[in-house]
Amino acid sequence: MRDLSRTFGYRLILDRLNFRVDRGAVLAVMGPNGAGKTTLLRVLSGVLKPTSGSVERSQRIGMVGHHSMLYDALTAAENLAFYCRLFGITDRNRVQEVLDLMGLSRWQHQRVGTFSRGMTQRLAVARALLAEPDLLLLDEPLSSLDEYGVDAVLQLLMRLRDEGTSMVLVGHEVSSVTQLATSIGFLVGGHMDVIEELGGRDGREIAERYREVVRG
Amino acid sequence: MAEVLTAALAIAAKDISIELRTKTAFMSALVFAILVLAILFFARDPTAVAAIDVAPGALWVTFTFAAMVGLNRSFLLERENRALEGILLSPIPRSSIFLGKLIGNLAFVFTIELISLPIFMLFYDVAIWSGLPRLLIVMVMTSVAFVSVGTLLSSMVVRTRFAELMLPLLLLPFLVPPVVGAVQVTARIMAERPLNEVAGWLKLLAAFDIVFFILSLMLFEATLEE
Repeated sequence: MRDLSRTFGYRLILDRLNFRVDRGAVLAVMGPNGAGKTTLLRVLSGVLKPTSGSVERSQRIGMVGHHSMLYDALTAAENLAFYCRLFGITDRNRVQEVLDLMGLSRWQHQRVGTFSRGMTQRLAVARALLAEPDLLLLDEPLSSLDEYGVDAVLQLLMRLRDEGTSMVLVGHEVSSVTQLATSIGFLVGGHMDVIEELGGRDGREIAERYREVVRG
Repeated sequence: MAEVLTAALAIAAKDISIELRTKTAFMSALVFAILVLAILFFARDPTAVAAIDVAPGALWVTFTFAAMVGLNRSFLLERENRALEGILLSPIPRSSIFLGKLIGNLAFVFTIELISLPIFMLFYDVAIWSGLPRLLIVMVMTSVAFVSVGTLLSSMVVRTRFAELMLPLLLLPFLVPPVVGAVQVTARIMAERPLNEVAGWLKLLAAFDIVFFILSLMLFEATLEE
């Protein structure tokens, strides 16, 4: 992304951001509430257009946002089959594969409206993985998951990273950030000029650095 | 083009299957249509006004407002869980979202019209069997007109706080020409008069369909922007 800015009305949310995420790299973005982290992901995904600047992105993007982007009245399998048609996925087994991957096969014929928040979140991850994306945009992907779910999703994301999937991760859990991310950016006041390689730093160090950046 | 159509049909099929399962808009529109037909029928003094004089107007008022229920629901579905963003993430042309919604809305509106029509015939006792094929053509032409504009406006107002109130306010002025045209043509069909008497209205309906379909398709992408 080059000199990317985004405003809502007169409010400048993202101010001339410049960064790139290489193949297999995971950029974690941390920042206080309202810093524009979700807006950044939505611009990266193409759902929002930047006010100025440009984004070069891969064709296959998967996104897990605050909302599941699923239809409550459809079953888990129907939701995924719908997205398969939109992504032009012709492999009939793909729905079953991602459901198995997320441990949701037992509930595939159940309507999403009857799912718990954790199950919905797992299905949202399944939806994001359907098209085997090159770039995954993850907005607090571990929220609402139980301990088993956190562990399973984290292991899966680490495996995808090792296989070459790039990711931009927004999250507050320092432990997951240190396990998954390869670099970290702190988004404060629309700026993200601090991008640091993680290279073996521990969680305490990152948390301390984060507090410093937020305090200014 | 095949890609646009495939995605559009997927979206339409999804909307129709959600509606078949929940029947939310369908039941509301149907009950509404029956109520309007009944109220307009009983409001008329049969000794002063013949049924045939008010029937075309009653029919199109019913169809127009019943359709509004479905058009309102169309994009509210996508607001739930921000499903529209999921669609926008897929690599489909954005025009296919409009086409998919249009097809789904047309299916909905036409179903409501086809169910309401026998109820209307029952209330108003008008013999339209001989003119039925011609009436069906007018129904298709008029439905395309208001569903084209309605789909565009429904997408535009869905992010506003009063979406369900805003849609009729914005849509009704656009509907005046096609609905007036439809009433005029329907009146001639019911009176078993030749259609060349209303050739002008038919041309207006056709022109409205073409112009507003193309305009809505072109403007749709702008309504997806925040």
